Amino acid sequence: MDAINGIDAATASQPPAQNGVEGVGSSGYKLKFCTVCASNQNRSMEAHLQLSKAKYPVISFGTGSLVRLPGPSITQPNVYQFNKTSYDSMWKELKEKDEDLYTRNGLLKMIDRNRGVKWGPERWQDWQIGIPRLEHATDRGSEGIEGGVADIVFTCEERCWDAVIDDLHNRGTPLNKPVHVINVDIKDNHEEASIGGQGILDLANSLNKAAQEEREAVGAMSFDTGSAAGRASFDERVPDIIGEWQGRWPNLPATWTLAWF
Amino acid sequence: MAAPGQLSVPDQIRQLEGARKLVLGDVSYYPQVIQATLPIIGPAAQVEFRRWGADFLSEAFATPAVTLSQKETLSLLVLETLMLLVQDPKQDPMVLRSVIQTAASIYPLAIRWTSADTRPNTRINNPYDTAAWDHMSAIKSRILRLWDTSPVTVRICCVKFAQRVVLAQMPSVNTEPRKNDPLDISLALIPSSHSALDKHSLEAEASGLLDRMLGVLQDSSSEVLIVDATLNALSVLIRARPAASNRILNAIFSFNPFKLASAPLTPKTKVIVRSMEKTTRMLLAHLARRDPRNPHAPRIQQYLERLMASKAEVLDGASRKRAHGDSASGIEVKRQRIGHAQPTFQISPLGAGPHSLADVFALTQNAGLRTFDVSQVPASLAAKISVNTIARIDTSILDRAIEGVRDRLAYLHEAARQAPSPETTALDVEEDDDYEPYEPAYGPAENDEQILNKLDSEPSSQSREQQRPAVLSSLGLPTFKLPPPQPLNPNQVIKVGQGTVARVFGIMSSLGDPANRRAKVGMNRLAASSSDRDAWITIIARLATRSSAGLNEVSLKDEDDSSPVGGMHLGNSIRESLYTYVLEDFRKRIDVAVSWLSEEWYNDKVQQKSASDAGSTPLHYEKWALRLLDSFLPYLHAQDKVLTRFLSEIPEINAALLSRVKTLCRDPSMITLALTSLLYLVIMRPPVREIALDTMQNIWLEYEEARPSAARHLAKWRPAFLEAQKQLSEGSGQMDMSATAAAVST
Repeated sequence: MDAINGIDAATASQPPAQNGVEGVGSSGYKLKFCTVCASNQNRSMEAHLQLSKAKYPVISFGTGSLVRLPGPSITQPNVYQFNKTSYDSMWKELKEKDEDLYTRNGLLKMIDRNRGVKWGPERWQDWQIGIPRLEHATDRGSEGIEGGVADIVFTCEERCWDAVIDDLHNRGTPLNKPVHVINVDIKDNHEEASIGGQGILDLANSLNKAAQEEREAVGAMSFDTGSAAGRASFDERVPDIIGEWQGRWPNLPATWTLAWF
Repeated sequence: MAAPGQLSVPDQIRQLEGARKLVLGDVSYYPQVIQATLPIIGPAAQVEFRRWGADFLSEAFATPAVTLSQKETLSLLVLETLMLLVQDPKQDPMVLRSVIQTAASIYPLAIRWTSADTRPNTRINNPYDTAAWDHMSAIKSRILRLWDTSPVTVRICCVKFAQRVVLAQMPSVNTEPRKNDPLDISLALIPSSHSALDKHSLEAEASGLLDRMLGVLQDSSSEVLIVDATLNALSVLIRARPAASNRILNAIFSFNPFKLASAPLTPKTKVIVRSMEKTTRMLLAHLARRDPRNPHAPRIQQYLERLMASKAEVLDGASRKRAHGDSASGIEVKRQRIGHAQPTFQISPLGAGPHSLADVFALTQNAGLRTFDVSQVPASLAAKISVNTIARIDTSILDRAIEGVRDRLAYLHEAARQAPSPETTALDVEEDDDYEPYEPAYGPAENDEQILNKLDSEPSSQSREQQRPAVLSSLGLPTFKLPPPQPLNPNQVIKVGQGTVARVFGIMSSLGDPANRRAKVGMNRLAASSSDRDAWITIIARLATRSSAGLNEVSLKDEDDSSPVGGMHLGNSIRESLYTYVLEDFRKRIDVAVSWLSEEWYNDKVQQKSASDAGSTPLHYEKWALRLLDSFLPYLHAQDKVLTRFLSEIPEINAALLSRVKTLCRDPSMITLALTSLLYLVIMRPPVREIALDTMQNIWLEYEEARPSAARHLAKWRPAFLEAQKQLSEGSGQMDMSATAAAVST
């Protein structure tokens, strides 16, 4: 953990990325995000990092049954348990196994990045939604999401979106809390993950801006008399925002629904 | 806390956040913190505090970190505040949202707590209970009114609240409710004789609320947030409340998520249509997966298929419709399509990224067709359709389709040749989880054995994998191994062997005789180096003589009995065939006989040499030479030169063979032929001269008619014999006479 903390501190001291971070100051309202991919290694972690650099509260998960990383051949993947293996130990193990191979395919670089973000991959299905996450204080993006609930879930692949929705059906919506689940289809390689992470950050910025605007519209809305529709709420603007965003990112097809925790 | 006005709003919120952190760390502080904050967040507070407070309460009653009974106690503290907040006609929508969410969490607790409280004494001693239920009821009726009038963002929370009411006021599927599951609080908890809660009216209310919830699916509502929020809240009702499930499913089955699709598709409507379609599909897929044997499963399946079809129609059809204009008549449309079918047939090249095998061969853009699982069509029907289609298809279209697929494969090979970059190497390792039962996965269709085969045949599998296009490696075209055939039994071996030999004879017959004999190449000639008849003869002869030489000795010996009971030896069966082949036309095929017998003779010699015990080696030459000779002798006529040739060319001659020649002389017309042949041997083959002359002598002795001719040859080669015979005959003449005399005398 010392090593992780060291890296964490080192990366945390870097200035936040400049791409598209618009006005997310330390005081403004921030949506809470959650990023999800299959193994909580590449796409969700890239997006986790980018969102946390932009100072958003963010957590991340994988929907697979196991953490699977490419191995020496297509039939010999490196397989790890969720929630039980740290990125640090994976990094050390793969470096030991074949440093040349895992440098060439970028795995070591990716896991090195991940161990600077949080301890290890977490499985979506094992996530106890609504249980406080105070023990994750050293994770990047942990500030603001201590309550263990997110406003927006970004999945990085259609079947992860499906897995998330299916899991929410299974849980039976006990928390009564609405959540926007948005899939942004990203191919599983380092280059696409980086582009996809930027796309997700751009979408997060647009969504957060709308949420801030809703917050700032303080004051009575006399909807109760039926006279004024008032300005559209954040929730209502989500499909619009996604539609506009899709125009900016035509190569990241999106799917969205409003679900319940 | 007493003087909040002294601090700025953000500072106070920060203080409140500090209190919140405290309870997140230890939920046992909730009662104190809630009690301390209620005055700050009450109905008269600034909107920032009300928002924070309502949020805080919704979190407190949602978190699984607090037990149900703790929440029950807490709920008594907050119900009045919640009621006042929700009843404020000018309440901030965000405060309303959080309050309604909190109410949804508390409602089942209030039901449980009120229904459990049946002892008359407690009720009398605790009048606050009634007040709490009254507050809850007031909150409920307010929320149900807000459901009609408030903004969508609030209404979705009203839907969720209604869902919790329905859940609590309908009988559960579980007869034994689980105590700590808030979702299992149901009508079953309420005794029928409860003074405050009337079971029947509660159930009726739930039923009415359910209808109201489902109304959004039946109206042509385009309010996607409400539709999604409703659909995503239904699963637990369908599963756990049997009284509701039928009604809900019927509502879903009559719901058309594509009703917006007729409008011009803006980016927003695209998002909305897709959202409603996928949300509906996911709910039904979830139900089908969770309980595949549920009685609704076939209807769910049907609906899902219909959904896929209309999705394809909407997404593809929209552009096609536009292309065809507004021609209403179906016939016209059909005619147009025939007219335009060819020019519009396009095979789009593959885009970037990984492709499945299906992608490579998929020529249609129609998403419904692409996901159609062809393997469900019975093989016989598929064959019929394929044959019909192939029979009718326009050749140019077929050519273009083949060309298109070929281009795609070429493209994949080209793409694979480019060096893999770590930035674009796929990281998604194929998973075994089964999240998508309704979307066919085109994973590697290999079994373990094939993969092992592949690994066996690819020692450097890693570099090979990288060179091959991803789609081709996922195709898995490994070495295909036929299962080993059943071992043949000896009879089958013989039969098949004979078949092969018969085929070779067929070839020889068709080749016929070489028109003119080529010049002999002498010692350098290689057997069977050309594919003419001679070559085949050599092959056949050697097959007969050498292939099994040294094997099956015992059976070969038995062969002499010509009673092949246990199956004939292959070599002998070939010999039979050769024998028959020669005899069919022995005059022309005598050369075949000679080369065959030469091979036999050679083989006999080699066998004798190598065999330790010479006696045990089966010998074939003499046997077959005799058989051949015996067989064609009866057909010879006086002018045939074939006998002379045969005798002069076969490698070895013995007395037995020549004794057969001798028998020719039984026919006086053949005497000259027999003697000429023998004379030729006497002159041309000195090693056999003596036995040839012996045979001639025997002819002289045995056949009266042959004596004059034989005597002519013998006079030259065996004058001593004739001399001796002359004396003998004179002596025997006397003896004859004396014998006759003796006979007469006796």
